[in-house]
Amino acid sequence: MSPLAILMSAFILSIVGLGFFIWSQRAHLTDPSTEGSEVIFAAGEIGTPEEPAGPSSTTRSAADVDDAELLARARADASTAPLVFFFYCCALVWLLVASAAGLTASIKLHAPDWLTAEAWLSFGRIRTVHLNAVAYGWAPMAGLGTALFVIPRLLKTELVGGRYALLGAALWNAALVAGLGSLAYGVSDGLEWLEIPWQIDLLFVAGGALIGLPLILTLRRRQVAHLYVSVWYMGCALFWFPVLFLVANFPDLHHGVEQATMNWWFGHNVLGLFYTPLALASIYYFLPKVIGRPIQSYNLSLLGFWGLAFFYGQVGGHHLIGGPVPGWMVTLSIVQSMMMILPVAAFTANQHLTLKGNLGALRHSPTLRFMCLGGLMYTASSVQGSFEALRSMNAITHFTHYTVAHAHLGLYGFVSLVFFGAMYFVIPRITGRDWPWPRMISAHFWLASIGIAIYFVSLTIGGWLQGRAMLDESRGFMESVLLTLPYLKARSVGGAMMALGHVIFAAHFIRLLTARGASRRAQPASPFATAAEGI
Amino acid sequence: MNSPDLLPQQRRENPDPQERSTPMPRLVLILALVLVTFGVDYISHADVNSPSAWGDARTRAELVGDRPATGQGVDGGAIYAAMCAGCHQATGQGLPGVFPPLAGSEWVVGKAGTAAAIVLHGISGPIQVKGQDFNGTMPAFAGSLDDAEIAAVLSHVRRQWGNAAAPVTPEAVADTRAHHADRTTPFSGGDELAKLP
Repeated sequence: MSPLAILMSAFILSIVGLGFFIWSQRAHLTDPSTEGSEVIFAAGEIGTPEEPAGPSSTTRSAADVDDAELLARARADASTAPLVFFFYCCALVWLLVASAAGLTASIKLHAPDWLTAEAWLSFGRIRTVHLNAVAYGWAPMAGLGTALFVIPRLLKTELVGGRYALLGAALWNAALVAGLGSLAYGVSDGLEWLEIPWQIDLLFVAGGALIGLPLILTLRRRQVAHLYVSVWYMGCALFWFPVLFLVANFPDLHHGVEQATMNWWFGHNVLGLFYTPLALASIYYFLPKVIGRPIQSYNLSLLGFWGLAFFYGQVGGHHLIGGPVPGWMVTLSIVQSMMMILPVAAFTANQHLTLKGNLGALRHSPTLRFMCLGGLMYTASSVQGSFEALRSMNAITHFTHYTVAHAHLGLYGFVSLVFFGAMYFVIPRITGRDWPWPRMISAHFWLASIGIAIYFVSLTIGGWLQGRAMLDESRGFMESVLLTLPYLKARSVGGAMMALGHVIFAAHFIRLLTARGASRRAQPASPFATAAEGI
Repeated sequence: MNSPDLLPQQRRENPDPQERSTPMPRLVLILALVLVTFGVDYISHADVNSPSAWGDARTRAELVGDRPATGQGVDGGAIYAAMCAGCHQATGQGLPGVFPPLAGSEWVVGKAGTAAAIVLHGISGPIQVKGQDFNGTMPAFAGSLDDAEIAAVLSHVRRQWGNAAAPVTPEAVADTRAHHADRTTPFSGGDELAKLP
C-alpha cells in the first residue's frame, strides 16, 4: 500500500470516527442514564422553542436565583478564595516581568546598541525570559487560578485538597524563578518553548501534578450529573499539559529530526491544548454568566470541544514545512490545521448566537468586553493560523515577523484578554471588595486592545514585506532586514501601550487590596479571612 | 457544614450558565463538508514519495538548480570541479603514475571526436600521455552528463592550463554519441583510441 493511500484512509477513517463519536455523545449512547441530557435545561425550558430574539423572559434577574444555588456557590468560592488569590498575585507579578522583558527585547530590535553592557540583557536571553515568563508564569497562573475558581462552582461542591494546589503553585513559581534565572545566566536547553533546563523541569512536573490533584479529587465529589462545557476544557487541559510537558522535556529521548518534530509538537500543543482550552472554558463560563443567558447549543459545544481535542494534537508539523521531515507528516498537519476551522467556527457560532441581542451588557461589564474581544481574537487568530499552515502562504510568512504577530494575536489578543476579563470578575468575589476605580479598567481595556492592534497590524505588514523581500533573489538579505525597521518601531509603541495597561491593572489591584471602606462587606475582609469563615 | 457569608458580589450575579440544546446551524455542517472535501483533495495531491531528506515539498529540479538547455549556459568549469578534478586535479596535472594530466595532453587538444568518445565511454587499459605510461580506469559519463555538458567540460579543458584547442559543440558530442551508440564497455586503451576516425 502506498504512503498516500495509507494517509488518505487514515484521514477519512479518523474523520468518520470523530463524527460518529460526537454523534454518540449527543445521542447518549455511552451514558448510563438519560438524566444527563436534562440537566442542561432550565426548569420549564424543555419543549419551548428557541427564541433568540425574545424579550428578557429568558433571562433571570439576580433576585430569582434560588438560595440553595447561591449558597453552594458561596461555599465553592470560600474553599478556593485564598488559593485563587495566590495564583492571581503570581500571575500579575509574572505579567509585569514578562511585559518588561518583552518591551526590552522589542526595543532592542530597532535600537541594537541599547543596554548592551550586561549579557543577561542581550536579545537572545531577554526574549527567552519574556517567552518563558508568559508561557510558564502569566498564562498558566492566571488560567489555572481561573480554573480552580470555576470548577468547584460548576461541580457545586467545595474544592478538595486545596493545600496540594497551594504547595504545587509554590513549587511551580520556585521552578520558574530558577528557570528564568538560568536563562538569564545563559544556561538553556536550546529548544524554543523548552528552554528551561530539564533538571528544573522536574519541579514543574511535581508542581503541576500537585495543582492538578485537587481538581481530580473535586471531580470525584461533584454534585452535578452533567459536566458543563467549561469543565471539559479545563479538566482536559490539566490532563494534557503534564503529558506534553513530560514527553517534551524527557532528557535524551529525542534526537535530530525527531527532536525538531517533538519540539513543534509541544510548541503548538502547549498553545492549543493548554492555554486555549483554559481560555475557551473561561469564555464559556463568564460570557453567558454575565449576560444571564444559557449557551446556545450543546451540540455546537460538543463539536467545538471534540474537534479541538482531535485535530489540534496533529497540527504542530506545519512548523516544519520545508524541513527534512516525511512529506505525509507535514501534509497531514496542514490538512488538520485547516480542519481546525471547524471547531473554531462551532465555538464562534455558539458565542455569537448566545450573545445576539445582548450586546447592551458590553457597556457596563468590563468582563464581557474583554471576553468578547478575546473570543473574536480566538476566531481571527485560529483562522489566520489555518491559512498560514498552507504551503503557499507559509513560504512567505515562515521565519518572518508575520509569525510573531500571529503568535501574539493568539496568546495576547485571545488568551490574555480573556484572562484579564476573568480576573476582573473573580477578584471581587474572592476578596469581597469591588474595583475602586472603574475608569482604570476602561483604561486597561483600551490600552490593551489598541496596543495589540498596533502591534499586530504593523508586524503583519512588516513580516509580509520581509518574507517577500527574502524570496526575491535580486534583493540582498540586508534589504529584507532594514525594511522592517519602521514596523518594529511601531511594534514597540504597541507593546509599550500594552505594558502600560498591565501596570495600571496591577496598580488597580493593589489599590483594591489597600483601599479602606471600599469593601461592601459587613466585616473587614481579606481573602484568607473569607476562607477561614467559610469552612 | 456552616453556611458561608454571602458576599454582595456573589448575591448580585446571574445563575451559573447552562447550555441549550438547539440543533447545529446548517452552515456549520456545510462548512464541515467543505473542509473534509478540501482535506481529501489536498492529500490526494500531496507529494509523499520524495525522500524526506530533500526537505518537504522539494523536487529534484529545485535542488539541482537551473539547467539551461543550450551549451553556452552550461558552466564547464563547474562540471570539471565536480566530476573530473578528483582524479585529474584542479591544476589539470593529474597524479604522476596514477592519473594522467590534462594540461598539455595530446588526447585533450587532439581530435574533438576522440576526446568526446573518452568522456562518453571511459578507458580501461594502458595509455601513453605526454610520454608517460598509465594503466588505470576512467569512468564513463555517457549516462550522467548530456551532450551540452560534455561539450562544455571538453571546451573548458581544451582552453585551460595553456591548452588552446577549439571548443567542442554539443552537436559534435551528439555525433560521437551516435557513432558509438552500440558500445557498452570502456575503450581498452591508447591503441584502440588511436584508431578512431
